[in-house]
Amino acid sequence: MKILVPLKRVSDPDNANKIKVGAGKVETTGLEWKPNPFDEYAVETALRLTENGTNAKARLGEVTVVTFGPKETETTLRAALATGADKAIRVDTTDDAIDGDLLARALKALVEREKPDLVLLGKQQVDGDANQVAQLLAEYLGWPQATFAGQITSEADKALLVSREVDGGSIKLRVTLPAVVSVDLRIVNAVGVTSMHTPPTHKYSDGVRFAALMAIMAAKKKSLTEVKLTDLSPDTALKIKYTGFDLPPARKAGVKIKTVAELVQKLKTEAKVL
Amino acid sequence: MAATDNPLLSDRDVEFVLYEMLAAADLCRLPAFRDHGRETFDPYVQQARRFAREVLYPAYRPMDESPARLEGSGVVVHPRMKELWPQMVGLGVIAATRPAAVGGASLPLTVATAANAYLMAANLSAYCYAGLTTGAAHLIEAFGDAHLKTTWMPRLYSGEWTGTMALTEPQAGSSLTDVATRATPRPDGTYAIRGSKIFISGGDHDLTPNLIHMTLARLDGAPAGIKGVSLFAVPKKREEKGALVPNDVHVTGLIHKIGWRGLPSLALGFGDAGDCRGWLVGEPNKGISYMFQMMNEARIMVGLNGVATALVAYHESLAYARMRPQGRPLLSKDPTRPQVPIVAHADVRRMLLRQKAICEGGLALVAFTAKQADLAAHEVDVEARRRAGLFLDLLTPVAKSFPAEWGFESNALALQIHGGYGYSSEQLPEAWLRDQKLNSIHEGTTGIHGMDLLGRKVVANGGEPLRILLEEIAKTCARAEAAGVDRAWVDRLREAAEQTAGLVMHLGALGMSGDVDGMMRHSTHFLMLFSILVVSWLWLWQATLAKEGLAEAGADAAFYEGKLCAAQYWIATELPRVDALAALCRSNDDSFARMQDAWF
Repeated sequence: MKILVPLKRVSDPDNANKIKVGAGKVETTGLEWKPNPFDEYAVETALRLTENGTNAKARLGEVTVVTFGPKETETTLRAALATGADKAIRVDTTDDAIDGDLLARALKALVEREKPDLVLLGKQQVDGDANQVAQLLAEYLGWPQATFAGQITSEADKALLVSREVDGGSIKLRVTLPAVVSVDLRIVNAVGVTSMHTPPTHKYSDGVRFAALMAIMAAKKKSLTEVKLTDLSPDTALKIKYTGFDLPPARKAGVKIKTVAELVQKLKTEAKVL
Repeated sequence: MAATDNPLLSDRDVEFVLYEMLAAADLCRLPAFRDHGRETFDPYVQQARRFAREVLYPAYRPMDESPARLEGSGVVVHPRMKELWPQMVGLGVIAATRPAAVGGASLPLTVATAANAYLMAANLSAYCYAGLTTGAAHLIEAFGDAHLKTTWMPRLYSGEWTGTMALTEPQAGSSLTDVATRATPRPDGTYAIRGSKIFISGGDHDLTPNLIHMTLARLDGAPAGIKGVSLFAVPKKREEKGALVPNDVHVTGLIHKIGWRGLPSLALGFGDAGDCRGWLVGEPNKGISYMFQMMNEARIMVGLNGVATALVAYHESLAYARMRPQGRPLLSKDPTRPQVPIVAHADVRRMLLRQKAICEGGLALVAFTAKQADLAAHEVDVEARRRAGLFLDLLTPVAKSFPAEWGFESNALALQIHGGYGYSSEQLPEAWLRDQKLNSIHEGTTGIHGMDLLGRKVVANGGEPLRILLEEIAKTCARAEAAGVDRAWVDRLREAAEQTAGLVMHLGALGMSGDVDGMMRHSTHFLMLFSILVVSWLWLWQATLAKEGLAEAGADAAFYEGKLCAAQYWIATELPRVDALAALCRSNDDSFARMQDAWF
């Protein structure tokens, strides 16, 4: 099975975000970057689908990782190559020059070029939280989609049985390949992925795998190609425009209320909830 | 995936030490490290860091609470350890610094030091199964014959088996001269081993199917004393007809330890039934010299154990001090105002700053020493390589002892900051305090290192190693002045360096004149003095980098200001002790020398 995994670096959620007043964007200089966690889960899922877990070094499929960003985002790609991905593509652009829709259109062109059987994505980015790319891409490709996958069972590499995380439980969908699937946190549980290559007795460690030192060194020699965004999508117009950013207003201090009557009064006249 | 709030180490400080202080990426100019660069160093340190925080650290308390047990004839380790081992092996920890020819990754020890510090801070016992295995395999790599190198060494480096250091015997601890385990040649070229060992860390377990004990023993007819001790590789199980069969190595007791409780320490009997076989490593009667060649690395590892154990406790107490509300500012006693977190009290910050100065000074010390080990082994320029070797030898006793002694104090401060809660086993600082204590005992006690430093290291090669240190101190002082570091700090370090040089001349002259007792009486005090000098130098260096860093636009001001405060604290409170210690060493005070056994 050939799998394409788009991934992105995001600013570390532990950073204190700096807002430049009136700048219309978040200040990104000096921020720490890390891979979007849901994208790391997608890479882990892709690896589990293309290996025998008892002998993970022998690859039984091909995982291509792709990111959209400047040169320094290649660090993110090398990290994915070190954990086991087979090759990488960087589409040269900047965060400001793309939105979810342009990303989906460019990915469609990349899919037509790379011809994967499956596109696996994180369900959303923890910076923008838009949760759009998987759905848009499936629509543009005319492929079946299953989002928020918490469990995937590969059926002879022809179809996937996907358990989707939804409010109040899960929904099982069978999607025939090629397809677009986005993954949720639970996919990286020990039993999140069932592949025909791995004996059912094999238990993965919870979470995404660690990269061995030797694999980090070997990743330097794996293929990493650069593509121009305009080669994938001559139309680089954005559908989303940011008009401004502001910090949430500071909370006002509370007041102490002496009687129930006073509370009811305030709820009526000030909070206007009664 | 349970993540921890305790960062174990400051990532920023690790980056500072590796790249701003030690220019670790420059090591890649050397042929040995040519496959490396920041593009391999950074991801490896990141992987170790994540593994330490997410996997090793959550297992620390359970492993401390239920130590390995002796069941029947063998040791059963904590079930968590069985999950940790394959993952830790998978990271490539065991052979990281070894060359590709033996399956390693040729990682500089400098960088491995940073990565290992996270693992040790998270779970010292768990890490040490790997550390001991590296040490055992390295002995075979350096001195073993082709048979040992092709059969057992790969199994150690791959983590299929583990290794131990079986040196100590009940009557021969610090005094390895008195090793009594016997080795008798057998017709097949192996040796029949017979004897008892004690305090063998990781000496038995059910983690892997086999273990190799690197064992000191005496050949029949060998000379008495240290020159009659040979090194043997003794497996727990030996291979016969393709199967592993018991090799007559028995657990005779399990030590109930106060710390490092995830790693069993054992008494072992070799050859009780006359059927224990050992394989000679290297030449007969050279066992001690082989061990000595491995000791720098083992001692750097113990130094790092100490730093890591102090660091994890420092970060725990820092988080506690920021969270625990208690009392009000000195001039604001209004009880209707909310209490402030204890970090707002200057005396709590004193305890935190002392820990920071010890921990970050210790990390810089061990990492710098590790860099000298890298250069001593791999530098191409012969003179630079020789110089690094001398510097390494000089700094090793300090890198081993400073983190253990000052680290214990740092661990005590972490407990102190937790107040009454710290004195309960509900909180972790007491566990780290117990762990830390071993570091002044094993791999040579502090007393031994004092004698090694004063009796051998500072006077070696006509005092050349000391001259190297003094030159480095002079360079740092000049750079500090240029960077605008407070002139008084620089002067104090210069004075302390001169005073130390004068003291070494004085004590060396006593030794030359035959008054060895007069020279060596205060060797432990000398080790303390020397440690303070070296760490003060490293703090002046860090202050210099902080000044230079602050002068740049967009500087990480909070980080550098913190460095300056820690340097100031160290130079103001610790460096002055050099005066008193130097006076003590010179005075030859004889209080404990003339004190008699019966008077206690």
